[in-house]
Amino acid sequence: MSVPPGAYVILAAVLFFIGVVGVIARRNPLIQLMSIELLFNSANLVLVTFARVWGNNAGHIFAFLVITVAAAEAAIGLAIVVIVFRKTRFVDVDEVAALKG
Amino acid sequence: MHDYPLLFVIWLFPLIGALVLWAFGPQLKSLGGPIGSAMVGVAFVAALFAWNDATTGAGAHQALFAWLPQFVFGLQWDRISLVWTLIITGVGFLIHVYSIGYMAGDHAFARFFAYLNFFVFAMLTLVLSDNFVGLLVGWGLVGLASYLLIGFYFERPSAVAASRKAFVINVVGDIGILYAVFVIVAKIGAIGYGDVFANVAKFSPGELFAVCLGLFIGCAAKSAQVPLHTWLPDAMEGPTPVSALIHAATMVTAGVYLIARCAPLWNASSDARVLVGSIGALTAITGAILGCAQWDIKRILAYSTMSQIGYMIMGVGVGAFDAGILHFLTHAFFKAQLFLGAGIIIHNLADEQDVRKMGGLRRKMPFAFAAMLIGVLSICGIPGFSGYFSKDAVLSGTLAHGHPVMWAVGVLTAGLTAYYMFRMLFVTFLGQYRGHVDPSELGLRHPELAGTAHAAHAADEHGHAHAPAWLMSGPVALLMIPSVLIGWLDLGGDASPWGRFFEPVFGHFEPAAGTPPESLTSLVVLVLVAAGLGIAYARYGHPRALIEAIPRLREETVRMPAALTNRFYFDTAIDALFVRTSFVLGRVFGTIVDPLAIDAGVREAGFSAQWLGHLFRSFQTGLVRAYALALAFGAACFALYYVMIGAGR
Repeated sequence: MSVPPGAYVILAAVLFFIGVVGVIARRNPLIQLMSIELLFNSANLVLVTFARVWGNNAGHIFAFLVITVAAAEAAIGLAIVVIVFRKTRFVDVDEVAALKG
Repeated sequence: MHDYPLLFVIWLFPLIGALVLWAFGPQLKSLGGPIGSAMVGVAFVAALFAWNDATTGAGAHQALFAWLPQFVFGLQWDRISLVWTLIITGVGFLIHVYSIGYMAGDHAFARFFAYLNFFVFAMLTLVLSDNFVGLLVGWGLVGLASYLLIGFYFERPSAVAASRKAFVINVVGDIGILYAVFVIVAKIGAIGYGDVFANVAKFSPGELFAVCLGLFIGCAAKSAQVPLHTWLPDAMEGPTPVSALIHAATMVTAGVYLIARCAPLWNASSDARVLVGSIGALTAITGAILGCAQWDIKRILAYSTMSQIGYMIMGVGVGAFDAGILHFLTHAFFKAQLFLGAGIIIHNLADEQDVRKMGGLRRKMPFAFAAMLIGVLSICGIPGFSGYFSKDAVLSGTLAHGHPVMWAVGVLTAGLTAYYMFRMLFVTFLGQYRGHVDPSELGLRHPELAGTAHAAHAADEHGHAHAPAWLMSGPVALLMIPSVLIGWLDLGGDASPWGRFFEPVFGHFEPAAGTPPESLTSLVVLVLVAAGLGIAYARYGHPRALIEAIPRLREETVRMPAALTNRFYFDTAIDALFVRTSFVLGRVFGTIVDPLAIDAGVREAGFSAQWLGHLFRSFQTGLVRAYALALAFGAACFALYYVMIGAGR
């Protein structure tokens, strides 16, 4: 038993916090997408950690599922970014507010 | 029971005719009349071929389809359907042929025959159906046909009003029958006549009376019984052949058919017998009294129809079913003949219907005079003519079933009938022709008193292209034969061909001891008929009366009692009770309930949706980072919640 589970959880919390700040504070959509990846992976880290702690494989399986979904999300997100960039020639999410009510 | 496909020929040929004429009427032009007539003729011949199968055993049956397991539709061919089918198709055929002449040159010639054929189909549906729901379908369809034909001249507002009135009153009757069917289905769970009549004992007396009452409301509306009779005189707005076929010979006797068909129900409920018999007697005398005050030849005949149907309803109502049906049979012939005769007069006088403007037509139209004379003699019950036998059968039947008051009313009506029918005959045919007399000399300045305000309508309705005269006189001549002879079927009471014909259906009835013999009651009737005839002769037919005919008619027109010119205020009462209340209710709902309750609710729902929309709109900033912040905040709240729970443990 080298690293205690608590360390993994703390690492995940730190990663999650970095991700949240990245999504909220940055206006570059590429950075935001990367931050979202951080959020996913912090969640994945928690899932595998507790899978090991409880000796239950469901967590591993769920982590794989999240990786798949994250890949799809990244593909769609990047496609949107490319389209928006083609139309507007700049990349600032605050400028892209066509759905304002 | 095996199938009997011949019924399809009887039943569907008129429908085929109607559909063909509807679809191709404008192309067929003057062929429309012969085609329509041929379709009904085929049905009549088929019915004659099928005669024997109706009279052997319980008759024939043709299954159609099962709506629900218990609700099977089919066609029934027995003695009652046979009588009605033969009249509908036989008299119907003659009236179709007559119409070819009467309607010649009308711009909607084919449409007229399409409607007539459709009516024949609807009426056959009514009388051939083997269950109450099929009957109700036919009942509604004849109402529709009647509506279409009364309003045939739809460019004339009075015709449209009359057709609407007829339809609305008939729907009141349909609701009565529908109610009766509901009770029957709830109690017995079947709709076939056979199933229902086999289980009459399952009804409590109250339920049985409710069923009879519901059915009778339908009969009263369709057969113009008091107080639902007011549509029938107005229905004379339709072309005269329509009045003859629908509003005299066939459709208005549907009530008689229904009661005769439901004889087991009436046999089981003495309350229903008293109710229906009394209404029939009341209708008979009301129609007769009002008939005395009319000047429009078709309205005189309409009120006499109402009065005669009163007799029929009284007959079948008290339980003298075969007598009531016999009166239907003879009436179909002599009344069709009277209407068609009147049609010849109206046709030749360029649509004049007011008898005050006629007079002296005996020399001008001897054939019409002969037709009307035979019809009048028959309807008045002069011995030897059909009407004598059937009216006598109804009256003696009423007495034999123990209803002396109804009998007395019926006898009185017979006297009045003789008076007003001969009044019509004398005023129309004797004396001098008054068509050129100034209307004011006849008292016509007061059309509202005369009650025939609508009579003078434009002569250009149909262009009077002249068809061969035999097309109109031939059917009338053929109708004269049964008008005189058909009643002889009843000669000999129970042992007569008529009595034997219906004995298997209605059974044998033994009058109570102490009932006066038929000859005695017949004598009383004859005395009153002679009195009525005598008074009519003294007032309108006597040479001295004829000399001063014009001032006399003027006097009578002006002095006519208000109660009679207002038709006993039935229309006024219905107007005040139902029509006005409907208007008031409509206004209350239109000005108060609708804007303040219903509309306000709808409006408020719309406003609140708008307001909520404004509220939620402000959340949608379109800033991705703001959404992310909201998500993060929500996630943080969740996390906090679980931490608190964890801390609380």
